[in-house]
This record gives sequence, structure tokens and C-alpha cells, in this order.
Amino acid sequence: MTDYNYRSCTGCALICEDILYPDKLAVPQARNLCRKGQAHYQSLFADRTKPMIEGRDASLDKAIARAAEILKDARSPLIYGWSNSSSEAQAVGIDLAERIGATVDDPSTYCEGLFMEMVLAGKVPSCTLDDVRNFADTSIFWGSDPSSSQPRHLSRFSYFPRGSKRQKSYEEERTCIVVDVRESPTARLCPDTTYRIGPGEDVQFLEAMLNVLEGKIPKFGDKKKMIELGSILKKTEYGVIFPGKGMLQSLQGKMELFMDLMARLNEVTTFKAIPVAGGFNTRGFNQLLLDRTGFVKSVSFQHDNGEVLHRSEDTLAGAAKRADALLALGSDPLAELPVGVARALAKVPMVAIDSCRSITSDAALVVIPSAITGLEAGGTAIRTDGMKVSLEPIMKTDRLAEEQILTRIMEAM
Amino acid sequence: MAMEVKVATFRDIFQYEAGRKGMHSEEYLQLSAQIIMDKEDLTNLGVKDGGRVLAENEIGSVVLVARTSADKAHPGVAFMIESPWSHQLEDDERCKQGALGFRGISAKVSPSQDNVTELSEIVQRLKE
Repeated sequence: MTDYNYRSCTGCALICEDILYPDKLAVPQARNLCRKGQAHYQSLFADRTKPMIEGRDASLDKAIARAAEILKDARSPLIYGWSNSSSEAQAVGIDLAERIGATVDDPSTYCEGLFMEMVLAGKVPSCTLDDVRNFADTSIFWGSDPSSSQPRHLSRFSYFPRGSKRQKSYEEERTCIVVDVRESPTARLCPDTTYRIGPGEDVQFLEAMLNVLEGKIPKFGDKKKMIELGSILKKTEYGVIFPGKGMLQSLQGKMELFMDLMARLNEVTTFKAIPVAGGFNTRGFNQLLLDRTGFVKSVSFQHDNGEVLHRSEDTLAGAAKRADALLALGSDPLAELPVGVARALAKVPMVAIDSCRSITSDAALVVIPSAITGLEAGGTAIRTDGMKVSLEPIMKTDRLAEEQILTRIMEAM
Repeated sequence: MAMEVKVATFRDIFQYEAGRKGMHSEEYLQLSAQIIMDKEDLTNLGVKDGGRVLAENEIGSVVLVARTSADKAHPGVAFMIESPWSHQLEDDERCKQGALGFRGISAKVSPSQDNVTELSEIVQRLKE
């Protein structure tokens, strides 16, 4: 008989805590994992990294020493990644950034960063996913597709579960609304309440929502369907909007419109908004950086007469093009960033701290293997809705956790 | 024959899974190096489902496999799974704070006889 222990999954920002991993590891026996969680779990058996310098095998000590040398010598280093690291590793990483005068940034700079800033600053009313499960009767996925990005969102929180005030759940009490440019897997669950818009038409859709809430005829979209949407919104007792990358990029520079919509909705009923974060600890990084610097993303640390100053960077592109060294922390910037940024980074000495091989680790000058957080290393993380979660490793490993590697790099300086 | 399209990118769970197994795998290539287009748009281009197209703009170019969309008609709008292939067409300044809203990636699509762009070629381009 196989014994199981409940552990958390760090495959996405829901950080599901009901995963049953067997004592004797074998892929088919892990229970409650979604497809994304299963893929994350399979990383244990994928192409793992090993210590390397300039494409050749090296000892861990030498790789760490070389990484320290590169970062110490750099005048404008960039540390990119963070969102798939524990809060403890993020804290040590920011210490390192302060020490070497680095710029730090994460993938949220291209996605949910601005919205996360609004939530963390209290400019947008938010709630926990447990509140969604217990109270929400209307969930709006706007430019987000949880079936692909946070696969258990609908089953654990927003659509299918029977919450304390929503015992009749999706059959009678919950409405799922999708606003998207394509018929996403989530949209297929609710074809009658899916609103297809063109790329960049989110502003017009938002204005049409404001129109119908005020009883006016909307100037955008299918008028009958928009009026039906207005009726759903007005009848809602507890609604939640889950803005995704599609919507947030479209509303760049006009985020005040979203705050106007939230304010108007809350004059009619109760409406909250929760980010759909990309990495499992994106929110943890945004929160930590905000606490330490006053900014949620894109921060440069500079030394001035013994004092550490920080300033907000306009764009990752600018920081990348100024960088003369890169530390990629549990991320693959060459694969996930626009070509101009990736090309700039590929030309500077790169140090990759990663658990598995990636495009970036293949091209890096120094590779330092790390344990997979949540599977081989523990710590804490902040779920996409702001709940703190403890992470316990499911197995022992000789690999160092990211915070241990970062500490050793600092010691080697 | 060529046509201008707006490309919207999205995340796909199957491609994510393939990437976790190995980004140099055939499965990851097949899922990433594709562009999903409106049926009528593909007909107008003279390209069948599974045919190859060149997607290009002032940022870069990639040869992709064209797939027919199962969605309702969306002429002039194409979809790509977010990947190193879609990033070849992406402007790195588009998320500048205070910038105008992102309205999809503008690209020109035309039939192609060339091989689908390999990941190794993309990595090589980054180093040049």
C-alpha cells in the first residue's frame, strides 16, 4: 500500500494545497494534479540542469564563484525572473540586487503588473478565492482563460463548487461570463455569456458596460446581448472580475477606466477583482518589492555615497538594453520575451539559476542547478489572491534551494 | 498573395506541457510554430489547413504552419500560442507604461514553400 502526503503544487498561482504525492515517487500515482500541475511534477524527471561554465561541466563551487565574479564586475546587471521562486529566495535576491546595484524585473511587467499595483494599493476592491467559492454568483473572465492558465480555478473556486452561500452552484446560482478575442476553452463552457471582441476593443466593451449599467443603449457590440449583460450585472449579488493579459495590455494607459467600472458596479452591487497571475509567486514578488521599494515591478537599485537608492524603470526593454550582465532566476527570458529584449540579453554574460534546461540555460555562460520549489525545496509563497501558503518539499535532494544559491553567490563576493 | 492580420497571442496548456518535457521536442515545435486563421482568410491566401505561411513585420519573420480556426468567423484576426515564434513578431516597447493600448501584433501573412522556422534558428538569430 502506498502512503500519501498532502502537499502544495507550484504549477500555477492557485498553489493547490490538496495534492497527494506518493512516498515513492512515480508520475502516474500523484493525485489531484491538473494537467499543468502534472506537467510541473514531470519536471522532476525532465532534462535537469547541472553546473556548467561556458558550456562545459564544472563543479558547483566553481560555477557559483564565476557567477559572483560576473555579477560583481557588472556595472548594470539585470536580475530577471522571480515569479517562480519562493518568497525567501525573492528576499535574498533583492538583497543581492541592492548589493550589486542591479535592476530587477519579472514577467508581470508585460502582463498583470499594473493591475497588481492597483490591487496592492487598494485602488480596486479585491477578495480571496475562498470568498469567490462561498459567495460569488457572477465570475467574469476578461482576457483570461483559467482553463489553460489556472486549470482548477473553475472547479475549486469560481464556477463548479458548492460554496457556503452557493449550494446550487453552476446549475442555478453561478454565472460564468467570458470576454475574449477568441473562443477559449473557458468560453466553451458558457457560449451564451461569451462576448467576442476584436484585439484592442476592450475599451469600447468597457464603455458599453458602463452604458448598459446607466440604462443607455450601448454603441458597441451586439446591443441585445450587451443589454442582457447589463441585466446579469444588476442582478448579481457578489461579482468578481478576473482580468487577464489580453484585457490588461489593451487597457494600458487607460486603467482608470477599469477603476471607473469597478466604482460604478459597486454602486449597483458588490464587485471585486482578482489578478490571474502567471507565476506561482508573482504576487509574492510584487508585494515584496512594493514593501521594500514602493514599486511592484521594474526597479533599479543604485549606490550613492553608501546609500542604496531605488527608482522605477519605464520598461524592461530599456533595462535589458542597458544591461551588461543577466541573472535569470528560475525563468527563461530568451524564450518568453519579445525578440528585441531577448536579443539584447543574449549578447551579455548570462548566469542561469534553474532547475531544468531552457533556452536561456543553454546559452548561459554559467549554469547553476537549483531544486524545484514546492517539490524539492520548501518556503512560502503568496497565492494570486494574496493568501500566504507554506510549501513543503515532497522529496530530498542534493540540489540547493534558490535562496541558498543566492546566499552563496553573495558570500563568494 | 499576402494579407495583413492582427495576431492575438494566448496560452495553451498542451503547449505548456510539451515545453516542460523539452522545448526542443517535435511536439513543442508543432504546437508553437502555428498560426490559427479564419477559414475564409486562408482560402483567400490559397493556403490549406496544414500549409506553410510566412508571417512577417518590421520586427521579424517566421515560417509557420497555418491552421484553420474552429471559432466563429474572425476575418483579419489570427491567433498564435505565446512562444519564441510569436515573440519574433512582438515589439518590445509595447508595454511601456502610459503607452497606448495594445491592439494585437500587426503582421503580413503570405504562402511559403520554406521549412517551418526551427527553434535552433530562432536561438541563432538572438545571438547574431
